[in-house]
Amino acid sequence: MPDDRVRSPGVPVEVVAADTGTAGALAFGTGLAPTGRRARRGGLGPVFWVCMAWVLLMVFLAVFASMLHLTSPTAQDYSAVNAGPGLHHLLGTDDLGRDLLSRVVYGSRVSLVIGFAPIGIGLVVGGGLGLLAGYRGGAVDTTVNAVAFVILAYPALLAVIVVEEFWKPTSLLKLTVIFAVIATPLLFRVIRATTLAFASREFVVAARSMGARTGRILVRELLPNILPSAISFGLIGVATAIVLEGSLAFLGLSIALPTPSLGNIINEGANNNLLAINPYIALWPALYVFLMLTALNLMADRLRSYFDVREARL
Amino acid sequence: MLRYAGTRLVQLVVITFLISVFTFLLVHLLPGDPTVAILGPNDTPTARAELLRQLGLNKPLVDQYGTWLVNVLHGNLGQSFTTKQEVTNALGEGAPIDLELIVVSQVIALVVALPLAMVAALRPNRVFDRAATTSTFGLLALPTFVIAPILVLVVAVKIHVFPATGWDSLSEGIGPNLKSAILPSICLAFGSIAVYYRLLRADLIATLQEDYVTMARSKGLSTRYILLRHALRPSSFTLLAAAGLVIGGLFTSAFIVEVLFALPGIGYLLVQAIYSDDYLMVQGMALVAAMAFVVINFGVDFVLTLLDPRVRRA
Amino acid sequence: MSPWRRSPTLQFPDVGSLEGPLLETVDLCTSFRTPRGLVRAVESVSLSLQRGRTLGVVGESGSGKTVLTRSIMGLLPGSNVERTGTVRFAGHDLTAMSQAELRAVWGMQVALVFQDPMTALNPVVRIDRQITESLRLRAGLDRGAARDTAVALLRSVGIPDPERRLRAYPHELSGGMRQRVMIAIALACGPKLLLADEPTTGLDVTVQAQILDLLATQQRERAMGMVLVTHDLGVVATRTDDIAVMYAGRIVERAPTSMLFAHTRMPYTEALLRSIPRLSDPPGTRLRSIPGRPPDLASPPPGCRFAPRCPYVQDQCRAEEPPLRTAGQDHVFRCWYPVGSDEGEQALAHNVAARVPAALAFTGTRVRDAGPAPVGPGPVSPAAPAGPGGHGAATGTGS
Repeated sequence: MPDDRVRSPGVPVEVVAADTGTAGALAFGTGLAPTGRRARRGGLGPVFWVCMAWVLLMVFLAVFASMLHLTSPTAQDYSAVNAGPGLHHLLGTDDLGRDLLSRVVYGSRVSLVIGFAPIGIGLVVGGGLGLLAGYRGGAVDTTVNAVAFVILAYPALLAVIVVEEFWKPTSLLKLTVIFAVIATPLLFRVIRATTLAFASREFVVAARSMGARTGRILVRELLPNILPSAISFGLIGVATAIVLEGSLAFLGLSIALPTPSLGNIINEGANNNLLAINPYIALWPALYVFLMLTALNLMADRLRSYFDVREARL
Repeated sequence: MLRYAGTRLVQLVVITFLISVFTFLLVHLLPGDPTVAILGPNDTPTARAELLRQLGLNKPLVDQYGTWLVNVLHGNLGQSFTTKQEVTNALGEGAPIDLELIVVSQVIALVVALPLAMVAALRPNRVFDRAATTSTFGLLALPTFVIAPILVLVVAVKIHVFPATGWDSLSEGIGPNLKSAILPSICLAFGSIAVYYRLLRADLIATLQEDYVTMARSKGLSTRYILLRHALRPSSFTLLAAAGLVIGGLFTSAFIVEVLFALPGIGYLLVQAIYSDDYLMVQGMALVAAMAFVVINFGVDFVLTLLDPRVRRA
Repeated sequence: MSPWRRSPTLQFPDVGSLEGPLLETVDLCTSFRTPRGLVRAVESVSLSLQRGRTLGVVGESGSGKTVLTRSIMGLLPGSNVERTGTVRFAGHDLTAMSQAELRAVWGMQVALVFQDPMTALNPVVRIDRQITESLRLRAGLDRGAARDTAVALLRSVGIPDPERRLRAYPHELSGGMRQRVMIAIALACGPKLLLADEPTTGLDVTVQAQILDLLATQQRERAMGMVLVTHDLGVVATRTDDIAVMYAGRIVERAPTSMLFAHTRMPYTEALLRSIPRLSDPPGTRLRSIPGRPPDLASPPPGCRFAPRCPYVQDQCRAEEPPLRTAGQDHVFRCWYPVGSDEGEQALAHNVAARVPAALAFTGTRVRDAGPAPVGPGPVSPAAPAGPGGHGAATGTGS
């Protein structure tokens, strides 16, 4: 079970793997950057900003999709079935003549909403609770911790599937709620652990000894230190949520067709020998997911190593 | 030691109880009437009343829970509505497949990740390390539902080496059995490779800087010996913890692989049950899957405590 | 035959038939490449040790003593390290050897006793394997013979009930016992040279004496050469044949032990000796520490490294680094104004008059007793044979 104990030098295994297949969260339970490059004092580096720009661009596309004069994702153009990339259809079409570009863009909406919204909620609610619990401790801490422990004991994908099954029909809102219920205890534990690490530091004791109230300490002293770590974990959470939703969609258990979702587009593309005939159907959403996840992972990692190095210098 | 075991055991019991309650309540608390789903077109008031009586759904909730719990403890998880098969039978048929998938995939993951991590840790930040770290980083961005279709396309469709779907059980010979297991296991292994590699590499790098490793070198022991007999054991704690979490998560990511490759494991059966609104099946399987997850995690945690002589003494 | 074993390709002569020094370093330099620049941890260290004798290496933290032992062995980390100079062991050039060849030397010919047994012993491996692995892999003993040897070794280092201790983990032993185990491990394959890095730091004084006696006995019985590295002058006073004093990576004085104590030349050595509190001092005696701090090894000042803290310092010291000069049989030192010489006495007096803080602290003179600061050029000239040296005004930094 996820546990706050440090098991071996410098490797806290308090991060819980969201059991979806990437277990990306687990992999970032180490304190070392993947390449071990020391952070240049200058900034987060070009890689980080490129990834950030890409993510923002994708979000922009998804949000303003309807204003972009894209072909409807459900419009079937029988004159261009299974077409490869070309002038009329930039990414090609699927076996029903639907434009792949617009399908991917509209499909990304679902993924991005389910990626960012629950994590946002989780950071605010779970993170806030974690900050409070980590700093104050006591009965509140014990109870919330126990509740979080119980919720997290249940495997995530299974929980989502099972709740979904009995809470039909599935909608974006319901999925967001379910994801948020899982994300909140996760982020609670992570931020609580980070807060605990900071709460015993001298600057906090100093602030308290000068009579600062709890709220002030939380916001002015602890929050700025927790933030980088929290954002880093948040980004990984987004990546994990996207994977989770994609897996669900692939299983046909996410938003119902014909609303496209990246996962179900891949599903369609992988069935009925379509892979051999028109690999593009599965390819484009797969590529999108890959790039998105890479960008998120790189950003999270860069954030972590940038602030970790500063920690090490202390 | 004993006190720790006792605490964990109590936690396990409490979690088990809560899981059983949760799984039981799913049917009853969430909006949506299961009878509607079950009866389908045969939905008449009399049929519904009859079904309610049959399922015991007209009794008070606590009574129902009691009956259900007693049944469960006797091994009676009910009967599937669609296949009329006992849930326990279905589980018994599906479980070995999941088991085999998990075992084979983890073997593959370890066989790949361990040597990679060891070589990389010996010369950190050199060519090999950078290459290996970058490529495993990429693996994190390839969740199962992305990589599986691609793998199938490349290996099964184009090259026809391994079967794209279907499962040959052990009774048909170990050759065909392994052949049908390899591709899905590789899909499952991808994410695990990334996790194992990163964690082990980080831990090994830290361990190799310890004084006792320098001392072992000063005794003239070979690098290979030092890696395997001195550095690996302390580093393996992290690995074990990671394995526990990964395996716990594999249960659910196996769902996707099973659906794609049409392997009749628990995940596949569960998803089929969901498609056909076979709620007793879903309930029973969810219970078992969740329990397995919890027990594995607790077990791994316990084993870890046993193995670490430092923690033991505390 | 264990699959791990590699037979050594180098032949080492019997200790008895050895001609020439057992260990010799010539101009050994070790530097680390860091973001702050090149840190010269060890510079131009030349030592020589005959078999059967003990050399003490004394210096404060950061003087480079530990890096020296690692450099002699060749046990430095792979990247960001530069090592130049020569290290010769029993006639073989260690610096020219590859890691594989060095591995044949380590443990069997040269052994290193580490400073902190709690971190140097693998905490999750039992004591018996930590001793027997070198016996089995390097000396080729089988399991039974190795175990018997291990028991005998533990007994010889003074551990009671050795059979039971073999099954223990390091954290189950006391500090003194752990150190004894470390020594047993080092001695296991019968090395000819023992490098002991602070073997008694952190131990009780009584245990310290026992460990040092143990080392001395083992050395005598095995006719080993030993290098004893420590910051504690008391440790080396009676147990070494020669002493080398290190400061900021350089050897600043080297002499046979008795001569070092009787005819100290380098002011740093003198300050070290004076800083040792004695039982005969009356109660309330102020401890005489050396003011200031060692220099930054990434950008050392020009001139003598000890100049900022030296009571005898003159302008020449700050400008030019003194070379090693001889002062008698086997006695070398690095100083322009050595202790006990005329130039030295004059320099000290001048500095006291000029209110140089280090000189005032050294003589215990309080600031207001020193009299008014002089004006004009100082009369002190160096006695160094090399170079004309500076005659500039010797006005100190004032009070």
